[in-house]
This record gives sequence, structure tokens and C-alpha cells, in this order.
Amino acid sequence: MHFIDATNFERFLKKISSGGELFVPVREAETGKLHLERIELFPLPDNLCLDGYRTVEPLKAFAQLLRYPVAEYPSTEGDDMGDEKVFPQVVVAGARGCDLAALALVDKVQVEGEFTDPFYKIRRDKMLVVGADCSECGESCFCNLLGAKPWPEKGCDVAVSKIQGGYLAEALSERGEKLIRESKDLFAEARDTQIKMRDETRAKVVKDLEAKNKAFPKAAGLEEAMRATLSDEIWDDIAARCVECGACTNICPTCYCFLLYDQKADGSHFQRISAWDSCQVTGYARMAGMLNPRPRLSDRVKHRLYHKYDYLPLSHGAIYCTGCGRCVDTCSASIDMREALKRIKEKAGGAKKA
Amino acid sequence: MKNPYYPIETLVEDVIVETPTIKTFVLAPSRPIKFKAGQFMQLTVPGCGEAPFTPSSDPAVTEKMEISILRTGKVTDLLHALKPGAEVGLRGPFGKGYPMDKMEGKEVLVVGGGVGLAPLRSLIYALLANPKKYKRVSIKCGARTPDELCFKRQHDAWAKAAPNVDFTVTIDVPAPNWTGKVGLVTTLLDGLDIDLENSIAVSCGPEIMLKFVTLKLLEVGYKPPQIYLSMNRKMSCGMGKCGRCNVGHYYLCVDGPDMCYDKIKNVPNVFG
Repeated sequence: MHFIDATNFERFLKKISSGGELFVPVREAETGKLHLERIELFPLPDNLCLDGYRTVEPLKAFAQLLRYPVAEYPSTEGDDMGDEKVFPQVVVAGARGCDLAALALVDKVQVEGEFTDPFYKIRRDKMLVVGADCSECGESCFCNLLGAKPWPEKGCDVAVSKIQGGYLAEALSERGEKLIRESKDLFAEARDTQIKMRDETRAKVVKDLEAKNKAFPKAAGLEEAMRATLSDEIWDDIAARCVECGACTNICPTCYCFLLYDQKADGSHFQRISAWDSCQVTGYARMAGMLNPRPRLSDRVKHRLYHKYDYLPLSHGAIYCTGCGRCVDTCSASIDMREALKRIKEKAGGAKKA
Repeated sequence: MKNPYYPIETLVEDVIVETPTIKTFVLAPSRPIKFKAGQFMQLTVPGCGEAPFTPSSDPAVTEKMEISILRTGKVTDLLHALKPGAEVGLRGPFGKGYPMDKMEGKEVLVVGGGVGLAPLRSLIYALLANPKKYKRVSIKCGARTPDELCFKRQHDAWAKAAPNVDFTVTIDVPAPNWTGKVGLVTTLLDGLDIDLENSIAVSCGPEIMLKFVTLKLLEVGYKPPQIYLSMNRKMSCGMGKCGRCNVGHYYLCVDGPDMCYDKIKNVPNVFG
């Protein structure tokens, strides 16, 4: 375990991001929320914040861009991907456990398996991630219900924990080890008292998470209850509030669905664009001839939960929710996934008894 | 690295009018495309976008590909307006294709409705390329009217392809000058003289037809693992990444589009 003071940490970020792009979390004064901000000039801003809890923006946005061209056709280069150098090296600092776990889940879809999305893969390979501990539990945070911890356990190159005077730092990947080794004069050996300070903060956040979520069920093992309530009226009830804006899926760090569409580029060329899409909107799965496998809003509201909590565990071996709570924060209808899971559990439990 | 989103330049060589609403496009891709019967392609209309179609041609032919398309939406309207010489794009093939290995030595029942016969024609080519591999090939197809029957010019050849091949056709409602069978395609499944224990059924058509064909097949004694259905969803990326073609936890673009009914029978609204 290493210790790095704030000044040296800034030097470290400057060094590892030279020639690339650097994003850091900053605290917005009015709301107290953290946002990722691009740093083009040092020093780092005064409102830099590597404690608190996760940023408003999800980490996936750096690997799977909100909207980007995937092909221009016809082209003399054909289907050759061309030079990877045009993709920037990106350093994202301050990613929390929920975002790191989420990005690993999106990796499973976009990189692993029979096909690899080359755009995602290249961007992902060129991402350096510095993870950070949470020092607070947000109102909507529920990573504990997913059995996760509010600090980076894996999925980043270097993990930092803010303590008095600086940060504890640890490499969590080979790349991270190399980065620390190459800047070893910036780091000192961590003292036991410093590690104790970190552990106290961690314990406090875990306690807060448990207190805030004590009314809600753990996410694991709900499959049976979900299947039992698949056609239940609770979905109509929950969907009655939904305004079909799609914010929950856009802001979700594990939602990876995208739309491909074509548009005119210059001259006789056309561009194919990939853009985030939301399964909550009517047209998402609609086919030619107006056929729609999920025509009702309640079908779609329910689909979001079932995809994350039942389908993806079957197809990709994991629940695709990491308890970041962004969907809860963003929903203008106050739909709370935890509430939905609680109702499912109660309903299925009640049905079993009856 | 290759860009899987780039459409291979493809020339429309010929356009065959099959029915008032279905045309077959004979395509010449700029490089040969190898596919298995039942796998699908993404066909690009430049500037408009792409839509998924299963080729209707012989999978043994890689230089040319035929795709038979029902006019039913934005992209298909534009496709139907294309003339020979037009340029389009192709990506693929995607999906698993029909379970050809499971059909060997079996009595294969093929049930098609309307434009559903298009993907099945590719399967029929594959089956009839070597009919001896199968104990029997029984093809049943239906359309609403005689005009809407696809590939009429090939029906006789299919019926006479081999002693173990039979072909029956029906139309939904009586029509002038039609002397053949009348009734929904499911009526062709009444009194089947098939060795059910030793059979695989494959069906493609509109979802409502798939639903009733499935119910009928179950009624006559097929078990869910013996039934394969060409499911319809909005496949887009073709690689299991864009998320919109799920049936339960399966993505049709990688796990289908032909799905064993046993795998999807518990999915609510499986037939839409």
C-alpha cells in the first residue's frame, strides 16, 4: 500500500494523462453532486473531489460513446478499421466501485463472446482508470444490496482512498503497477494509521448503506419471485407513473443497447451512426408492419428490470445492476428499482403462502 | 481489425416479381458470402438504413444471393422501388441457421406461410441437395390467395425432387380458378402421416401463423424440442450487442433467428 500526497497525486495524473485526455470528478457547488470534467490545463480545479460518492455521468460513456460514426460507405478502405491512433488515450479518475463493476459487465457484452465490437474494444484498451473509495452514501445508493463494496475491488488500474493529506494508492492491474513503478518517487509507503483511517471511513459508509437500504431485499436470488410476478398487475401500477423518457437507461452504467442508423455524409457518401438507445421507448423493438413485441409501456418498464435481473444472469452470468442508484435519482416519476424488487418479493412470497 | 458495421458493396443484378407484394432481389456482393440456410443478412439501402432478411437462395452458391422481400415498411418500400443496377450493401451472415445436423435421418416437416417461404426456400435447397440424408422431406405451404403464393415456378420441381419428398400447398380462402386445397396452413397438419417420434418440424411465417402452427404441432403430438421456429424480432447489429432482438434471455441475432420451441416456450407473449 502506498501513500501519495495531493500535490504528488496531481503530478501523477498529469504524467499518466500526458498526450491523452483526462477526466476528473468535480463537486458542483449548488447541488453537491459530482460531475466528470475534462482537464486541459493544470492545476486541477479546487472543487476536485475524489471522495463523496459516484459521479452523475456513468463510466460506460468513455468506452461506448453516446453517439459516434461506425462506418462511412462506400469507402476505398472497405471494412478495414484503420489506424487505432485516431482513438484518444483517456484517463478517468475517481471511478467508484459501482461504475467499475458496471464497466466490466458492459465489457462482457461488447468484447467477449463470438463477436467483438472493435470501437468499444479499442477505446476500452486505451482507457486508464483510477478508482476511488466512496466516503459517503448517496440517498439512492444501494451497492450493498448487490453484495458489492463501496470501494474499488477490481476493474481499475490504480485505486485511491482519500485520507487526511492525500490518498492511499494501490495498483489493481499490471498496467497500474507499472504506472506506480514509473513514478515511484511520488509515492511513499503507507503507514498503518493511514490504513486504519481508510478502514474507518469504509466501515462508516457500509453502515450507512445498510441503514439506508434496510427496508429493501438483497438482489441475489430474486429470479423465482420475478418469474412468478411476470404477469402481475404491479407492473401496470409501476408503469402508470413512467413518462417514457428513457433517462433511466441512458444514465445506467450497465445499459449498453444502441441504435444503428444511416444518414447522408458529404457527396455520395453515407454515414452509419451508433447511438445509445432506450428499451423504454415505443419504437425500440418495433418491426416493419408496426409489429411490436412490447407494445405496452408496462411491458417495457418491466423489461428493463427483467433484462437486468433475470435475462442477463442467464445469458451473461451476472445481474446487470450494480446499485449505483442513478436511475432512481434521474426518474422524474420517482420509480425506484429497490421498491419494485421489494414489491416483487412481497407479492411472490404472498402468493406462495396463499 | 475489421469493421463489422461496414456494408459490403453489392449490386442488384435482377429483380423478380414473385407476388403483388413480394419481390426477389438477385444480389451480387463484391466478394462471395458464405452462409448457412436460416442465417440472416443485414441489407443496406444506402442512406436509409438496414433491415434483416434471411436469404431465399441456395446456400451452396456464394457469388450470388437472393433475398425475397415483402413490402411492408419504410426500408422495404425503398427496396421495392430498386431496379437492376442499383447499389445496396450487405453485412453478415448472422445467427445460427437451421439445425441441419439434427435433421439427418429424420422426417423433416417444413411449414411455411406467405413470405415465410423465403427463408425456407434456402432450407429446401439445402435439403433437396441431398434428399437421401433425410428419411423424408415434407413441405407444407400456405398463402392467403393464389396470387400471394411464392416461388410457384419451383413448386412442381420440389414436388418431384425425390421419392421421399412431398409438397402440398393451400390457400386461406376459395378463389376463382383455384382447384387446389383451401384452408389455413394448419389444416395441412391434420392427419399427418409422419413418424412423429422421428421427426423435426421447421416453420416460418407471420407470428400469428407461427403461434397456430406450434399449437397444432403440439396437438398432433410433436414435443417442444422437435419444433424449430423462425422468430421475428428487430435484429440490428447482428452480434448480440445492440440489445433489441431478445426473446426472453436469448438474442435472436446470435441464438436464432430459428429457435427451438423448447427454449422459448415459457417466454410471455413469445408470439407477440
